[in-house]
Amino acid sequence: MAKLLPIINGVKNLREERGMTQGELGEAVGVTRQTIAAIEQRRYSPSLETAFRIAREFNVGFEQVFSWDEESE
Amino acid sequence: MLTHVLWIDSEEWKMFLREMSFQEKSAWIMILALIISGFFYFSGVVHLSMSLGSLVPPLLPSLIKYTVTLVIISAVSHIVMAAMNPKEANQKLDERERGIFDRAGHWSGFILGFGVVMALGGYLFSYNGDIMFYTILATLMLAQIAEYVLRIVFYRKMM
Repeated sequence: MAKLLPIINGVKNLREERGMTQGELGEAVGVTRQTIAAIEQRRYSPSLETAFRIAREFNVGFEQVFSWDEESE
Repeated sequence: MLTHVLWIDSEEWKMFLREMSFQEKSAWIMILALIISGFFYFSGVVHLSMSLGSLVPPLLPSLIKYTVTLVIISAVSHIVMAAMNPKEANQKLDERERGIFDRAGHWSGFILGFGVVMALGGYLFSYNGDIMFYTILATLMLAQIAEYVLRIVFYRKMM
C-alpha cells in the first residue's frame, strides 16, 4: 500500500454528486483519467493550477475540495 | 483453455488493461521490445564468438538487425494500441506523467553514466575496444529498460 499524501480531497464525492466520470473530469481540467484516479486515492497531489481548475469545475471554493490532513504529521 | 490458464481472458486482466494509461502500456511494450531485440543481438554475438573462439567485434549488419527488430516491434504494437484507443493515444502528457517521466529518466541516467564509466575504466585495463563497445551498448539497453520499468513503478505506486 502506497503512503497517503497529506492533502485530503473531496474530488471523488464532488465528482460523483455531479454524475461525472473520472475521464470527463480529467478532460475538463486537462489531465488523464489515471491522474484523477491517483488524486482521488491520495497517491498524487495536483499542481496548484490543476487544483484550482478542479475547484472551478465543481463551482466551489478551493478549500471545499482540498485541505491539509493534520494527522499526517 | 490456454488463454484461461494464462489469465488473458479473465475479467481481472481486462480490468488491469483498462486501468492502464496509454503511456503505461507503451512502457510495457518497450520493455518487451528491448528485451526481445537485445536477447537476439547478444545471443548472436555469443554464438558467433563461440564458433570463432574469441570475442567477435561489433558488426554493423547485426546492429542494423537489432535496430530494425526494435523499431518494427515498437512501431507495430504502438500502431495497434493507438488504433484501439485513438483518443488516449493522442493525449499529451499531463503534469503527473511529466513528473513520472522526469524521475524515471533521472534514475536511468545514473545507470547509463555508471555503465559508461565502468566501460571506460575497463578499457584502461584491457585496451579492448570491442568489450568497451558491448559494455556501453548493454548499459544503454539496461538503462532504457530501467527507465520503462521505473515509469511503470511510479505509475503504479508513487505518484
